[in-house]
Amino acid sequence: MKADHPTIIFLGQPNCGKSTLFNAIAGHKALTSNFPGTSFKHTHSEVYIEGRLLNVVDLPGAYSLNPSEPAEKVVLSHLFQEKPDLIVNVVDASILGRSLELTLELLEVGYPMIVALNMVDLAEKKGVHISPEKLEKLLGLKVIPTVASHGRGLKELLEAAFFCLDKHCPTVAPRWSGDIEEEVGQLAEKLPAGVIIAGNPRFTAIKLLEADQTFCLEVLDEAEPELKRELDLAKKRIEEKRRAPSYEVIAAERHHLALKLCEESSRVRRGKELSWEQRVDDIIMHPILGYPIMLLIFLAFFFLIFKIGGPLEGALLGPLIHLRALLGGWLGSGLLFHLADGVIQGIGGGAAIVLPYFVPLLFFMAFLEDLGYLARAGFLLDTFMHRIGLHGKSVSPFILGFGCNVPAVLSTRILESPRDRTITSLLIPFIPCSARTTIILALVALYLGPVWALGFYFFNILLVGLIGRVLSFFFKDPSPGLILEIPSLKAPSLMTMARKTYLELKSFVKFAWPLLVGGSVILSLLQFLALDKVLNAAFSPLVVHGLGLPRPLGITLVFGFLRKELSLIMMLQALGVEYKDLLTVISREQILVFTVFVSFFIPCLSTFAILWKEAGKRTALLSVGLSITVAMTLSLLVRLIF
Amino acid sequence: MIRLSEAPHGRQLRIVDIQGREGVRRRLFALGFHKDVLIEVNSQGILRGPLLIKNLTADSSVAVGRGIAHRIWVDVAPNEG
Repeated sequence: MKADHPTIIFLGQPNCGKSTLFNAIAGHKALTSNFPGTSFKHTHSEVYIEGRLLNVVDLPGAYSLNPSEPAEKVVLSHLFQEKPDLIVNVVDASILGRSLELTLELLEVGYPMIVALNMVDLAEKKGVHISPEKLEKLLGLKVIPTVASHGRGLKELLEAAFFCLDKHCPTVAPRWSGDIEEEVGQLAEKLPAGVIIAGNPRFTAIKLLEADQTFCLEVLDEAEPELKRELDLAKKRIEEKRRAPSYEVIAAERHHLALKLCEESSRVRRGKELSWEQRVDDIIMHPILGYPIMLLIFLAFFFLIFKIGGPLEGALLGPLIHLRALLGGWLGSGLLFHLADGVIQGIGGGAAIVLPYFVPLLFFMAFLEDLGYLARAGFLLDTFMHRIGLHGKSVSPFILGFGCNVPAVLSTRILESPRDRTITSLLIPFIPCSARTTIILALVALYLGPVWALGFYFFNILLVGLIGRVLSFFFKDPSPGLILEIPSLKAPSLMTMARKTYLELKSFVKFAWPLLVGGSVILSLLQFLALDKVLNAAFSPLVVHGLGLPRPLGITLVFGFLRKELSLIMMLQALGVEYKDLLTVISREQILVFTVFVSFFIPCLSTFAILWKEAGKRTALLSVGLSITVAMTLSLLVRLIF
Repeated sequence: MIRLSEAPHGRQLRIVDIQGREGVRRRLFALGFHKDVLIEVNSQGILRGPLLIKNLTADSSVAVGRGIAHRIWVDVAPNEG
């Protein structure tokens, strides 16, 4: 798909400001974040820059080109798929030594490249002065100092990019110690014609030496047994000589070269007093003080969301009810009305109940993420996550789950091990999302008191922990443990947060809304065809005998699956009472049993669909089985206790 | 030589050996943890939680679980610059 306009790829390690730079150049399409590994998706944009049409690609941040990490695999495969005319390697100047390790790896690939030496202001603040000229000479590449967040250096970067697109800037692969160079050279020469060359023979040879026991090597064993033998011999020679596995030797080679480049191109003037960021960090990361501060931050977080969401919900629900009444007037009560009603309920319910809470949550989450606090919360909460068999990186999917379980399940992609992804995905449906919170507030808070609602919430979180604990018994292999970069604290930009919220929202609407509308239409049809009686009869053993609830509530269980928040409206409709008269037909205990059951009994249709898509059929079905078991047990317990 | 999980806070440490499973080692290498790199333990999570490690060579901070820190061997550097 090589178009006539050139392709430029932005590549860099997580948190290097790559997406900010990309945003500043390519406009409003890329996600940026300060939580390592969140911008998982890549963004393509076709943009006109100074009259030239460019195909600009933003890839997720990668520490290296190691294909065994999910995010880095995406980067590696895209790199070869796109065959870029130019790579813009974004380098975090404040951690130059480490960032250059990726630069060296990219040089091995051999595509034309320039370096954006980003965040030079932060480096200066740390007392590190880098000479771009020296680095340019050492690397044999154009190096342009930038501060993406302030738009500094962008013009020069573009000029350099255009220069390289027109004139071609050849790159030279870095040379390593003699013995390793020899092994790589020999292996590269021995690559038979049948082997797929990634980039160039040298790079292919390096990657083969670095590869772990993935299926790629097994394939090699069958397809090219001769090469496999050579490879094993070379690995063994390196291992014997250096007393370390070949992947480690190569990583060390890159590291030493990067360190040398860094030392030769920068001057360090340390020993200045602590910066304010460091002082703040010492407090918020304090082994004891950090926890009450975190609690306060999250309390403020949820308080603000409900402060904003509540009135918004009220304002949006009003017109919806009017519209419904209006429709009833126009269309009577036939099939047409029920269909239209289903569609409106679907769109409106999503807009009026989910969005008022979900949008502020996304926005505040983007704020915490860009600030760098989410990674810090991951560090602080790691201990507790360990108790339930997970680690600190699962914190961010869980928080997202309070807004909506669907994007929460999606975000489990940031977890490296499949085991952690599965356990987190199974736990997310137990997190009370905004739809369930609405029910808890409307039923428990109003009829049993705010303390009960708070207790319900607290108990809910405890339950997540308990289920996690039980689940981790069944997943024998231990969690690999936490390795999480803590990025430096940065002032988040409003624009970036807004963009991120918008993008998250867009993908949510695209995925969940059709399911919401579809579910609503089905429900309307059920009513129209008077199938609710049949369903009530079918569910009555469970509803009446098991849960001790009035028989008409059977239908609400179906609703609960299609759309959790509709259970409440449907409950009133099924019982034939107004909200304020609820207690005349149902007791407080029954309200509690109902809320418990509806909250836990099954992930909603959208969550189920995303689980199926992301985690697979088995996990999705397991999740359903798990939640039905939990809901049944809990409801019976509640019934017994009260 | 001591384990990173038992190393004193706020002292310069030199990495002597990184042990553990291959996947974990690879990830640590990619994040700038190699033999001879200078690091410092800055903070830790409550109840034997993770360690906050400052990589003095790369000037970055990384949170590392205790299980992983247990398999990283370090020397306490004799004098601090």
